[in-house]
Amino acid sequence: MDFELSEEQQQIREEVRRFAENEIKPVATEYDEEEKFPFEVLEAATEMGLNGASIPIEYGGADYSALETAIIVEELFAADPGIALSLTATAFGSDALIEYGTEEQKERFLEPVATGEAIMGAAISEPDTGSDVSSVSTSAEKDGDEWVINGNKMWITNGSVGDYFVAMCETDPDAEGRYNGFSQIVIESDRDGFKSEKITGKLGIRASDTAELIFDDVRVPEDNLVGTRGMGFLQLMQFFDITRTMVAAQGVGIAKGANERALEYAKEREQFGRPIGDFQAIQHKLADMHTQTEAARQLTYKSAWSVENADDQLTTLASMAKEYASRVAVDCANEAVQIHGGSGYVNDFDVERLYRDAKITQIYEGTSEIQKNVIARELMDKGF
Amino acid sequence: MKILVTVKEVAEAEDDFDIDGLDIDERYLEFDLNEWDEYAIEEAVQIKEDGDDVEVVSVTIGPERAEETIRMGLAKGVDRAIRVWDDAFADVGMLDPKTKADVLSAVVEDEQPDLVLTGVQAGDDSFGATGVTLAETIDFEWGAVVNALDLDAGAGVASVHRELEGGIEELTDIELPAVLTIQTGINEPRYASLRGIRQAQSKPLDLHELDDLGLEESDLESPLSRTAMYEPESEGDATVFEGSAEETATELASLLRDVGVVEG
Ligand SMILES: Cc1cc2nc3c(=O)[nH]c(=O)nc-3n(C[C@H](O)[C@H](O)[C@H](O)COP(=O)(O)OP(=O)(O)OC[C@H]3O[C@@H](n4cnc5c(N)ncnc54)[C@H](O)[C@@H]3O)c2cc1C
Repeated sequence: MDFELSEEQQQIREEVRRFAENEIKPVATEYDEEEKFPFEVLEAATEMGLNGASIPIEYGGADYSALETAIIVEELFAADPGIALSLTATAFGSDALIEYGTEEQKERFLEPVATGEAIMGAAISEPDTGSDVSSVSTSAEKDGDEWVINGNKMWITNGSVGDYFVAMCETDPDAEGRYNGFSQIVIESDRDGFKSEKITGKLGIRASDTAELIFDDVRVPEDNLVGTRGMGFLQLMQFFDITRTMVAAQGVGIAKGANERALEYAKEREQFGRPIGDFQAIQHKLADMHTQTEAARQLTYKSAWSVENADDQLTTLASMAKEYASRVAVDCANEAVQIHGGSGYVNDFDVERLYRDAKITQIYEGTSEIQKNVIARELMDKGF
Repeated sequence: MKILVTVKEVAEAEDDFDIDGLDIDERYLEFDLNEWDEYAIEEAVQIKEDGDDVEVVSVTIGPERAEETIRMGLAKGVDRAIRVWDDAFADVGMLDPKTKADVLSAVVEDEQPDLVLTGVQAGDDSFGATGVTLAETIDFEWGAVVNALDLDAGAGVASVHRELEGGIEELTDIELPAVLTIQTGINEPRYASLRGIRQAQSKPLDLHELDDLGLEESDLESPLSRTAMYEPESEGDATVFEGSAEETATELASLLRDVGVVEG
C-alpha cells in the first residue's frame, strides 16, 4: 500500500496550482459577476494542455489516467469552480469517443479539443429526463445515410459555446428492455436546425456555460454514431464511474479552497484582542473541515485508482466518493462563510462564491439521492 | 548549436521563521527554481524552437531534492539535465561564485556549449556574480543583465540589450561562444504543459560527481564562509495611510510636520 503521490503527480499538482493562482484566481469574481464564459483563460490553459489531460497522446492530449486528472480537477476547483468547470469540461463527452470512437471520429473530434480549437459537451438530460436517464425522448431516425434528430436537451454544460455534443438519442423505440434502443450520436452546433439558449441566473458556477439545446430536424451523417446502435445507454454507464469520480474531485477541490481561505482568515481576523483562530470554536471547525476533506480526498483517489486497477469495486466507490465529497464541499464552504462572518456574505471574499458553487456537485452527474441508490443497489446485489 | 543553462534551486523563507545555527530552519523554507533562471530557461527554449538543431542542456549544483525543480525545466523544453553533487558539497556548506564557476567550467569543458545562459542572480544569496565569473574562468565573451536577446546563430553573434543603472540600456553585439546573464522580464516564462511533464519523466537527468568532472574536494575550498545568521533589528516604522488622495495627503502633511521634516 502506498499513500504517496509520485514525483510526476506532485509536479502536475504544483504546476496546475501555479497556473490557477496566476490565471484563474485574479479574474474569478469578474467572470462570476458577468456570467460569461472564460475564453481568455481557456486560451492560456490550452497552452498548458489542460483541456486534453485525458485525451490520448496521438490525438494531442497528455493521456493522463483518472488519478492524475482528479489531481488537476482538484487544484483547479480549489481556485474557482466556475472557471475550472469551463476548462475541464471542454472535453466533456470525450470518454465515449476515446473508448468507442472510430479512428476517423477520434481525429475529427478529439484532436480539435486537445488543441483548443473546439469545445465539446455531453447532452443527456432533457426537460423531462433527469435522474431517470432511461426516459430520454430525443429521437434520431435513420433517413438514407443520415440521422434526423428531434428533441430538446436541458442543462447542457457548454451548450451555447460548444462545437459538438455527444447526445443520447432514442434510435430504436421498439427495442425490448428499458435500457436498450438508445444511441450516442455526435451533433455539431453548426448544423441546420440546431439551436441553443443560454440559461442564466444560476446560483453558482456562473462562468460555466449552461444551455438548452433544441434539435429541429437536425441532420448529421450516419458516421456520427458513436459505438453500437442501441447500446448508448450501456456505453454511457461505463463512464458514469469516471465522471462521478471527477465530480468527487471537484468537491474535494472546493472544500480545499474553502478550507485554505478559512484558515488564512482565522489567523488574520482579530476580535476580543486576538485572532479568531485562537478560539476553540473556530479551531474545531477548521479541524473538522480539514479532516473531512482529507477523508473525501482519499475516497476520491481510491475511486480514481480503481478506474485503472480494480474495476469490481469502482461503481460503489465512485458513488461513495461523489456523494461524500460533494457533501463535504457544501459543508466546508458553509463553515468557511461562517468563519468569515459578515465578510463571507459578500463577494469581496471568495468563500461567498464557493458557498454558491459547492451545491452543484450534489446535483449534476447524478444527485446525492441517486448515488445512495447506487451504493445500496451494489450492496444488495453483491449480498454484503 | 548547444545552449547550456545554469540553474539553481533556491530557498524562500516564510514571513515568520526561526533561525537554526547558520541558516534559516528548514521547516520554514520552500524550495523553488530561482526566478531569474526561469527566464534563462525560457530564452533558451525559445531559441531552440526558432532554430534548427539546437540542444538545450541545464546544469545545476544541488542535492537530490533539486531534481524536482530540474524536471520542471525538462518539462518546459530543456532536452537534458546535469546535476552536479557529491557529499563533499554538503560538507563545505557555502560556495562562493568563484568556486561555483570552477565547478561549472568543468561541465562547460565536457559539454562545449556555444552559448551559456545564467540568471543575473540567485534569489537566496544574491551574489549576482556567478555568470560573469564563469565567463572569465572559461574565457568566453560575456554580457551581464541582458533584457533582450537576438541571436544570429549562423554568424555566431548575439545582439543584446543590457540594462544599466538609471534606466539606461546598452546595445551590444557579442560573439559566441558567450555567457549571458539573463534579467527577469526578457520574456514570459511558460507553464510546463501536461504533455511536457509527462515527457520530462523520461528525459535524461545525469548525476556528475567531482570525480566525473576531474575535480577534487580541495577544489571546493572557498575563501568565503558564513559566520552568523540573524534577523536585523527593524530600524523604522512604516505608516500606511488608507483612504482618498485628499485625506491621505493631509495626514501625510501633518506627519511630516510632526516629525520635523517640514516646518510650519
Ligand atoms: C449547472 C448544471 C449543469 C449540467 N450539465 C449537464 C450536462 O452537461 N449534460 C447533461 O446531460 N445534464 C447536465 N445537467 C443536468 C443534471 O445532470 C440533472 O439536473 C440531474 O441529473 C438531476 O436531474 P433533474 O434536474 O431532472 O432532477 P430530478 O431527477 O427531477 O430530481 C429532483 C429530485 O428528486 C430526487 N429523485 C429523483 N429520482 C429519485 C429516486 N429514484 N430516488 C430518490 N430521489 C430521487 C432527486 O435526487 C432530486 O432531489 C446539468 C445540471 C446543472 C444544474
